[in-house]
Amino acid sequence: MEFALGLGLFVPLLGFLILLATSQFIGRLAAGLIACTAVFVSFVTFASLLMEYSQPADYVLFQWIPVDKINADFVLHLDPLSLLMTLIITGVGFLIHVYSIGYMEHDEDYARFFACMNFFIFSMLLLVLAGHLLLLFVGWEGVGLASYLLIGFWYHRPAAARAATKAFVVNRIGDFGFLVGLLLTFTIFGTGNIVEISTQSAQKFAVDAPLLGLLCLLYFVGAVGKSAQLPLHTWLPDAMEGPTPVSALIHAATMVTAGVYLVVRLHPMFLLAPTTLHFVGDIGGATALFAAMCAIGQNDVKRVLAYSTVSQLGLMFLACGIGAFYAAMFHLTTHAFVKALLFLSAGNVVHMMHGTTDMQKMGGLQKKFTKTHWLFLVGVLAMSGIPPLSAFFSKELILEQEYLAGYETLFIVALVTSILTAYYLMRAYCLTFTGAPRLEDKILRAVKEAPGVMLIPVSLLALLSIFGGFLGCPFCMTDILEPFLAKADVLLPHEDHSVSALYSPESLLAMLGAFLGVGVSAYVYTQYADRLWDACLIFRKSFYIDEIYWRTIVLPLRSLSQFIANVTEPTIFDGAIHAVVRGTGKTAVKLQRMQSGQIRSYVAWMAVGTVILIVYFIAR
Amino acid sequence: MILISLAMFTVGIIGVLAKRNALILFLSIELTLNAANLLFVSFANQWGNSIGLVWVFFVLVVAAAEAAVGLAIIINLFRSKQVVDVDQYNVLRG
Repeated sequence: MEFALGLGLFVPLLGFLILLATSQFIGRLAAGLIACTAVFVSFVTFASLLMEYSQPADYVLFQWIPVDKINADFVLHLDPLSLLMTLIITGVGFLIHVYSIGYMEHDEDYARFFACMNFFIFSMLLLVLAGHLLLLFVGWEGVGLASYLLIGFWYHRPAAARAATKAFVVNRIGDFGFLVGLLLTFTIFGTGNIVEISTQSAQKFAVDAPLLGLLCLLYFVGAVGKSAQLPLHTWLPDAMEGPTPVSALIHAATMVTAGVYLVVRLHPMFLLAPTTLHFVGDIGGATALFAAMCAIGQNDVKRVLAYSTVSQLGLMFLACGIGAFYAAMFHLTTHAFVKALLFLSAGNVVHMMHGTTDMQKMGGLQKKFTKTHWLFLVGVLAMSGIPPLSAFFSKELILEQEYLAGYETLFIVALVTSILTAYYLMRAYCLTFTGAPRLEDKILRAVKEAPGVMLIPVSLLALLSIFGGFLGCPFCMTDILEPFLAKADVLLPHEDHSVSALYSPESLLAMLGAFLGVGVSAYVYTQYADRLWDACLIFRKSFYIDEIYWRTIVLPLRSLSQFIANVTEPTIFDGAIHAVVRGTGKTAVKLQRMQSGQIRSYVAWMAVGTVILIVYFIAR
Repeated sequence: MILISLAMFTVGIIGVLAKRNALILFLSIELTLNAANLLFVSFANQWGNSIGLVWVFFVLVVAAAEAAVGLAIIINLFRSKQVVDVDQYNVLRG
């Protein structure tokens, strides 16, 4: 078991190291093959672990930091939750890797790209497998680093470099919360082992103890940063500056799901702190609605998808907020398939149009991308919640749980969000693929359908998006996911969903909403596409949040730094140093006169010195 | 004896401080060394302890070496400027 776990975890790292060492001279095909093989081996390993799996357990690979109160071993925790995550990461990650071979074909830094991708996969695997919070933090930071490297992959473009820095800095704010929570955990529990913490927290704390609430809140701050929730969501839309496979990887398999995973992983703690948990749900709901509205206004196809991710992550946190951790994980799974599909099929268009992501320049691409547009449509419908595609089941489950828990506001928020989701995704589809082409004829003629190496992974993802919902569909016989996750104690709080089958009023409402959103959007944007570019400016500008941050945080900080650089530093720090230098110089000039070059004066000084010494010794 | 030794030492020091001729200076230094020797001998005699006598031999050896080196220096100084007045040599002035 240990060996298989270690193999699955470290093979991507090995791939990263090999590519790093050979990046200067390795061939393009070899680089892609090494990276894909590494992830594939990892995937197969975890799949075989799934077959052998019996019960949750910790596997200590070696002793890591044997310090009192921390006692961090290199311990991996294997349970259905981490297994599910590893399979998503390596499975979807592998398809994205294969896709990248096609997408990055014209790029010079082929090996560097794949090295970073492998490192990304490794960090994320470490994050989800870690049985110790400190180890989890290593993966957490590794993911942050990898995302920085990949978002800024085209570092010669100022926008990409800025976006990478922004992602890193905003993540740092969240990581600060995580780190403080980590230190608090060590102080309170004297260990960082997740299983021990989970069992101890029930013994040590009463329900809703303030200290535990604070602890959970700190971890949630970390999750907010990583999962791009309000108010730290600003980095994710900007992260679209990276290559499209990177966006797919960040949004579907790795990185942003880490926050949701953290909350689910620590759910025994969160359940003991209902106040914080409600707060999680509120933030999730607010983000879901906010991001969905932002997505309506975007004219950049990748930014629509980015806001869509933020919104869906909000829904997952919303589910966590009422304790429906299973619903959150289910939605995470289906979302991973569908979002990867959407990104990669959008990537086909972007790649074949040489990096154009602006939908104002697209339109009518249906005829060119005869296959891709079907794939994108599948993604749109699946994410919108059209039955029986995958996200319908998970979204419906969230809505139902929300309804059963009696949170009417959050239920309405979730419902509106899912209608908006259908609306903006259909809008993206219509603007991109239908209507009259808005591109110049000359360029349009050169546009072709994507090559097979890109189409095949996307088609596989489309299949997963169509049938993925049956993994955990609550009202059919193939409900695999729920009992599986239940073994890891990830349960639904309201178990009676089996009775409230397909035709319960709220699921009917959700379905109607999805059809309504898709229908209205399809009508509006096939008929009036060209007149609506500047509608909803406040949505397009994302409620001016970036501008507000720029004015209230970035600019004051910048002027403070400039004040320090221009005033404090020259006068106080440099001034002090210069004063010392001048003083030394003046003293030296005075002392220089003693150095007369006359032997007799030296002797005289020597005699005087001797006399003084003798007098001193006698007088003592 | 002690008084004679002290007198010799004083004369030597004053010679070093007051004279400008390098040879005289050198002579004065030898004088101070031998004043010290005299003191060693007289104390050895007074306390009946022969360690002082041993030290005298050390001083003699050092003085001999110093004489050899010092005279060589003086000869070289004389060759460079044709004078043995130490006040003329102030090239090490800071």
